[in-house]
Amino acid sequence: MYCFTANMIMLKSLKPFAGKAKGIIIIICLSFLTTSLRAQNCSLEISGIATDETQEPLAGVAVQLYGPAGKGGMTDMSGRFVFDHLCPGQYRMTFTITGLKPLSKEVMLRDRDTVLRIALQQDRKHLHEVTITGKRIKGVSTLASTTLSGDALAKNQGKSLGQLLEQISGVSVMQSGPTLYKPSIHGLTGNRVLLINNGVRQEGQQWGEDHAPELDPNSAGSVTVVKGAASIRYGSDAIAGVVLMDPPSLPDSPGIAGDIGLEAASNGRKGNVTGSMEGAFDKSLKGLAWRLQGTLQRAGNFQTPFYYLDNTGMAEGSYSAQLGYHVSGLELNASYSQYNSKIGIFAGSEVGDTTDLIQAYNNRDKPLVRDRFTYDIQRGYQQINHEVMKVDAKYRLSDFGDLELSYARQKDLRQEYSSDIAYSSDPKVQNLPEDWFKLITHSLDLVYDHHSADGFSGSMGLSGETKGNVYQGLGRIPLIPNYRDYGGGAFAIERYGRGKWLLEGGLRYDYLWRQVYRYDINTLNDYHSAYDYHNLTGTLGATFDLSHHFTMDANFGMGWRAPNPEEMFINGVHASAAQFVTGDSALKSERSYNTTLSLHYKSDKLKLDADLYDNEIRNFIYAEPIGTRQILGVGYHAFQYVQDDVRLLGADISGTWDVLPVLSLTSKTSLLRATNRTRNGGLINMPPARFQNGLTLHRESLGKLMQPYFTLQNVSVLRQGYIVPDQEQLLPPPPPAYSLWNVSMGAALPVGKKQLDLSFAVENLTNKVYSDYMNQFRYFAYDLGVNFILRARFSF
Amino acid sequence: MKFIRKNIIGLAALGLALALWTSCNKDEQVVSPPLPGNEFMTTVKLIAVNANDPSDADTASWVDLDPAGSRQPDLSNAFLDLKANATYNVQLQFWDESKTPAEDITPEIKERANYHLICFTPQGGLNLTVNRTDHDGNNPPLPVGLQDNFVTGAASSGDLNVKLRHQPNVKDGTCDPGSTDADVDFQINIQ
Repeated sequence: MYCFTANMIMLKSLKPFAGKAKGIIIIICLSFLTTSLRAQNCSLEISGIATDETQEPLAGVAVQLYGPAGKGGMTDMSGRFVFDHLCPGQYRMTFTITGLKPLSKEVMLRDRDTVLRIALQQDRKHLHEVTITGKRIKGVSTLASTTLSGDALAKNQGKSLGQLLEQISGVSVMQSGPTLYKPSIHGLTGNRVLLINNGVRQEGQQWGEDHAPELDPNSAGSVTVVKGAASIRYGSDAIAGVVLMDPPSLPDSPGIAGDIGLEAASNGRKGNVTGSMEGAFDKSLKGLAWRLQGTLQRAGNFQTPFYYLDNTGMAEGSYSAQLGYHVSGLELNASYSQYNSKIGIFAGSEVGDTTDLIQAYNNRDKPLVRDRFTYDIQRGYQQINHEVMKVDAKYRLSDFGDLELSYARQKDLRQEYSSDIAYSSDPKVQNLPEDWFKLITHSLDLVYDHHSADGFSGSMGLSGETKGNVYQGLGRIPLIPNYRDYGGGAFAIERYGRGKWLLEGGLRYDYLWRQVYRYDINTLNDYHSAYDYHNLTGTLGATFDLSHHFTMDANFGMGWRAPNPEEMFINGVHASAAQFVTGDSALKSERSYNTTLSLHYKSDKLKLDADLYDNEIRNFIYAEPIGTRQILGVGYHAFQYVQDDVRLLGADISGTWDVLPVLSLTSKTSLLRATNRTRNGGLINMPPARFQNGLTLHRESLGKLMQPYFTLQNVSVLRQGYIVPDQEQLLPPPPPAYSLWNVSMGAALPVGKKQLDLSFAVENLTNKVYSDYMNQFRYFAYDLGVNFILRARFSF
Repeated sequence: MKFIRKNIIGLAALGLALALWTSCNKDEQVVSPPLPGNEFMTTVKLIAVNANDPSDADTASWVDLDPAGSRQPDLSNAFLDLKANATYNVQLQFWDESKTPAEDITPEIKERANYHLICFTPQGGLNLTVNRTDHDGNNPPLPVGLQDNFVTGAASSGDLNVKLRHQPNVKDGTCDPGSTDADVDFQINIQ
C-alpha cells in the first residue's frame, strides 16, 4: 500500500536523479536517502543495513562500535542500525551473527554522516550451527521460513531435495519408491510448491507423483523453505510454499578454494561424490570470480528389511558453473547448470489392472519379482535432463537501491520407458520411450530492491515467462498435449520496520495465456484452443519483537495456480496405480488464502518455535473416483479432475533445549488436518502427524577431534485416519503408525590448516518393517531397511 | 581494466541476444501424430480347428477399438461353437484393427515369448481343458499359450477367460507374476 503513495512522492522528486538511470527509474517506485551535511561536531551518525550475501537484510546482527566512543547494539527488524551523537574520528566496527563470518570495518568519520551497507558472508567451515539465529528479511519476511545451510547441508550429502527438507517441521515428502522424493509443504506438493533454484523458477514436469525435482541439492549454499502462500513475491504456483535454493556466493578475495565430499551408503550400495572449486582474480582482473561444482551418484537395488527392490538403481550426474564480475555499482553473473539422471522404477510396481494391484498389495511380504542386487537399470525407468542458463545484471542505483535484471532459459527433457516394449517389429520403435516431454522456458525478471535507513524497505518488479511443451508418445492419445504459455506479472512489497515492529504489505497481478495444440484421434487433424487466467493477490503481515526473547509474526497471504495441462487434458492410464485419469479443460484457477501465526521464544538454553496455519483453498483441483473403465478388458479405477473448496489447518512446533553444556534435546512436531469443505470429508495423500525427537551429546573438542557429537533420534509417524472414504475404498487402507530410530555421530579433524569432517549415521537402526502413507509405492513393497552411511568432506 | 570490463559486458549482452534469438523456435505447434511403426492391441482372436476334422473350424474375436475405454467393446463375434468330446488345435492371435489394413501383433508376442504367458480360465461349468502346446526359449522352456489344444467334454456352455500376462524377468510358468495386457471373456458353446 505504501508503495503507491511512495510512487507519487517519487515522481515529484525525481530531479536529483536526472541523468544516468532516469528512464529505468520512472517505472519503479523508489525511496532513497540523502545524506545531509552537518557542521557541528559530535552530532554525527553512522547508520546502515546489514545483509546476507544475497543482499537480504538481516535482523539480530550484533554491531559493536570501537573508537572515540564505544557503543553496541543489534540490527532491528529491517536489518538496520544507527549510532548517533558521534564525534569525528577513526572508528572500528564489528558485525557478528551466528552462522555467518564476522566482519570488521574501519570507518573514518569527518564532517558527514556515514551510511554503510554490510554484507555478511556465509561461514563455509562453520561446523555445528545449523540455522541462522537472526531473521533473514526474505521476499515475504513475515511468513514462516527455515533455512538450512553450511553444515546442515554437508551432513545430508547424497540426499535428494525432498529427503533433505523432511527434517524441517511442516515439510514432508511425497515418495515413489526409494529414489523419487517430492517435497511437500503443509500437505501440498508438486506444482503447489514452487522451487526457485539460483533465482530461477524450476520449470519441469512437476505434475506427476513420481516426477521428482530435477536438481542437485549439493549445488546449494543454502536452502530456505518459506511456508505459506507466497504468490505475492514469486507468482503463480506458490499455493503452499516456496523452496529457495541459493548457490554459495562467489568469493571476493583472490585465491582458489574448494571442497570435496564423499558419501557411501550400504542400502543400495550407493556412492555420491560432490566437489566444488572457486576462485577470484586479482590485479587487472579484479572483480572477476568463478565457481565450478559437480556431483556424481550411483546406486543399485535398494533393500527393505528382508528383500531387495528390483530395478530401483539410479545414476545421476550434475554440474554447474558460475562466473561473476563486479565493478563499482555493477554486478554481472552468468551461470549454467545441468542435471542428468536415469532412475529405475521398482519392477513390482508395474501393475496392469486393479486385480494386479490388490495381488501386489497382498504379496508385500515377498513381491513376485527378482530378489537380487544389481546396479543394472532395466526398462521401467525415467531419464531426465535439465539444464538452466542464467545471466543476471545488478546495478546499484544508490546506497540503498538495487535494480536487477535477469534472464534465464531452461530446458527440461523427460523420457519415460515403461517395462512394456511397444508392439512393433521396428527395433527403432521398440527403443523409444513410452512418453517423451520437452519443456523449454524463457524468463525475464526485473526487480528493484530498496532498503533505506529510515525503516522502509521493499521490492517491486516485473516478470515475464514463456514456455513451450512438446509431447511425443507411443500411445494413441497424447498423455498431455503440446502447449505454449505466456505469463506476466507485476508486484510491489513494502516493509516498514521501527523498533519492535515490522509491518509488511504487497500486491501482485499475474496474467497467463495458454494455447494448446492437439489432434483429433479419429481424423488426425490438428486443432488448437486458447485459455487465459488472471489473478490479483496480496499479502499483509506484521512482526512484533515483544522482548529480546519473544517474537511474533502474523501473515495473511494469497496464492494462485492455473490448472496445469495435465489436469486439463490428461486422458490415459496412470502407470503403477491402475488408474485411468481424465482431465477437464474448464477448470478454473486455484486460489489459496493462507493465515500464519508464528511464535518464537529464545533464551540461552531454550529455543521454541511454533507456526500455526490455516490455508483455505478455493477451487482446489484433485482427481475424484468415478467408477471403473476397461481397455481390452483390463480394468482400471477411473478418476476425473474436479474442483472443491478445501481447508488445511495445522501446526509446526519445534524446540531445542540445552539441558547441560554437553547435552541438547530437540523436538519437532508436524500436525495437519486437511478437510474437503465442499464434501465434508478428508483429502487424499495428506501427511499424517509426524514427531521427530532427538538427543545430542556434543563437546567443543575431544583430543584432536573438534566438535564431536553423537545424536540419537526417533521419528514417529501416526496412521492417517482422516481420508476420503470412497476414494480410499478402491485402494488398500492407509498403513499403521510406525516409529524408527536413527543415530549419527561425527567430528572434524584438523589436517594442517585444512579441515576434514567425518560422520557416520545409521538410519532405521532396528531394521523395522514399515510402510509410509506418503509413499505411493506402499501398495507394492515395504519401506527401506537399515542403512549405514559414511560421509567425509575435505575443504581446501 | 577498462578493456576487460568492456569485453565482459559485451559478452554478456551478446549471450543475452543469442538466447533471445534462439527462443523464437516454436516446435510445440507441430503436433506429432501417433507413431506409424507402433501397434495397438485392439483385438483378440481364437481360431479353432478340429484335430480330426479340418472342416470343423470356427473363429471368435473380441474387439475394443476405443483407446480411452469409454465405449463398449464389440462382442458380436466373441463366441465359439465346439463339438463335445473333441480336440481342437487353437491359435490365439492379437491384432491391431485401428489401422487399415489391420496388423497382426502375434509375431511380436512370439518374439518376446520369454516375457509373455497366456492364461485360460474356463468359467461357469464349461467342460473344457486347455493345454498350451508351444514353448518359449527360457531354460527350462516354459509354455506360452499362442498355440493350444482345447479338449472338450460333455455338452455345456460358459465363458472362457483369456488373459495375456506380461512377465518380464519373472516368468515362472504360473499366472501370478507380472501384469495384465488383455483380459477378455469368450463365450464357448460345446454341443
